[in-house]
Amino acid sequence: MTADWIVMAHVGLTPPPAGWRDDLARRLGQRPRRLGTWAELALYGARQCLDAAGEPSLPKDAVLRVASQAGPRLATRTAVSQCDTGLPMPFAFLQSQPSQMLGALSQHLDWRGDARFLVTPDHASMLHLAQAEAGPAGLLLGWVEEGDAAGQGQQSEWWRLLPNENRAPKLR
Amino acid sequence: MNPVFLAGRGLASSLGPSLGAAVDALRQGGPSPEMRTLTGGFAWPFHAIADDSDKGDWWPWVRRLITRVVADSGALASDRRGPLFLASSSLDIGGREQDGGFEHGMRRLADEIAGWLNWTGPVITVSTACTSASNALLTAAALIRRGDACDSLVLGVELPNRLTLAGFGSMQLLSPTAARPLGAGRDGLVLGEAVAALHLSRHPSRWRVAGGANVVDGTDPAGAVQQAVVEMCRRALSNSGLHPQDIDLIKLQAAGSGANDATEAAALHEVFKPLPPLVSLKANLGHTLGASGAAEIALLTACLESEAWPRATPPDPALNAVLASQAPSHVRNVLATILGFGGGHTAIVLENGASS
Repeated sequence: MTADWIVMAHVGLTPPPAGWRDDLARRLGQRPRRLGTWAELALYGARQCLDAAGEPSLPKDAVLRVASQAGPRLATRTAVSQCDTGLPMPFAFLQSQPSQMLGALSQHLDWRGDARFLVTPDHASMLHLAQAEAGPAGLLLGWVEEGDAAGQGQQSEWWRLLPNENRAPKLR
Repeated sequence: MNPVFLAGRGLASSLGPSLGAAVDALRQGGPSPEMRTLTGGFAWPFHAIADDSDKGDWWPWVRRLITRVVADSGALASDRRGPLFLASSSLDIGGREQDGGFEHGMRRLADEIAGWLNWTGPVITVSTACTSASNALLTAAALIRRGDACDSLVLGVELPNRLTLAGFGSMQLLSPTAARPLGAGRDGLVLGEAVAALHLSRHPSRWRVAGGANVVDGTDPAGAVQQAVVEMCRRALSNSGLHPQDIDLIKLQAAGSGANDATEAAALHEVFKPLPPLVSLKANLGHTLGASGAAEIALLTACLESEAWPRATPPDPALNAVLASQAPSHVRNVLATILGFGGGHTAIVLENGASS
């Protein structure tokens, strides 16, 4: 992290705890519908991070950025297989689109704003790009990997960052 | 803050293998989409990239195509240490369909392109469905404004694959006949392929990137949200230092969708009183998804420079929004919108430095 930014909260779920899907459903008051594992992991990590920052929702002018190396790979493979057999596959296709994860974050965090999915070489690149467009309301950054079909390698790591001039009374 | 200019453009699309060919084709009315049939016998009209070379082997063909389009933009003659943004919805899915390379991550196409172009700067992929290239442009412009880069390349690509057409077909979003943006009897999208390169620079040229905005609202996972479109317009105008009456032309998302076109028109009526002249390029290009933000800016600016203009579809009276039948005589500020899957709503504001 650069000296000009402070970390309001950091949640590193590598891997997420057993039963994380049930935790997510309890926290949201409902099971998210028609999302793939990758998007659910993003939602779980983002919610945990905002809870750790003491924020019920993301401020309107905050910037949300999510990065990944593999993205929704399992849904993409499923959609391609279904496509090859000529099956209709509206849900698998939607789950193969990273933008659906952003839409789900917007919906379940009750937030409308500047959100983007990026594939960057590393965390530092993602941070640099996000800071270039962030204002006083700061950033919510996530790095999400869904691992293999058995769930090995799952990761949902999130940071809530504010520029230093908005220094909060307490760092978490 | 440094200003940001559009230093060069390249485009390969259904209108032709180059931007010049596209403008010429547009003057002739543009080609009709071809019918494309998928497994199961479903068929939809589709705007494939016009290219006579052998498309059989996906990776070599893509390499030739992208290298040529980037060269057309002039970016290869500049410093290749700036950031390169690859913007796409489908990325290399056509290559994966062909070679089964699912073990590769989402960086594969970006890494390959960097190698083909001998690009030594950072390479970032932006994938936010239809808004990918607009979002890439916003980030690239932010880096130049801050002085983090002098030049940047935004490369919007939607390349041949089966999944995209099948996916949109599964969701019953495609027209069986033709795209009719804002038109009477419109019944869906017609998809298209494109490779579009926008070379951005802090050095002055005719088109300045004045500002823009990206607003995600997930209320409707597959469609536009009226209040999000309104907020997008207001944010884009505000950070460009403009008011609604300063906009001389709006390049719409309008793709021929029954609901989305109506939502976009209603939102624009809320912001712009009266509406400035409107244009949509999707009846000619198809909806080129993640490439569309770059492809449509490349084609629109070329049209305004050459007075070529797309055909306007017969309007839907219920929308009270009619496409301009010819280029407006005076265009200084243009608002270019792209709305997409996952609740993405983006707008870019361009200033025409040649307008007095």
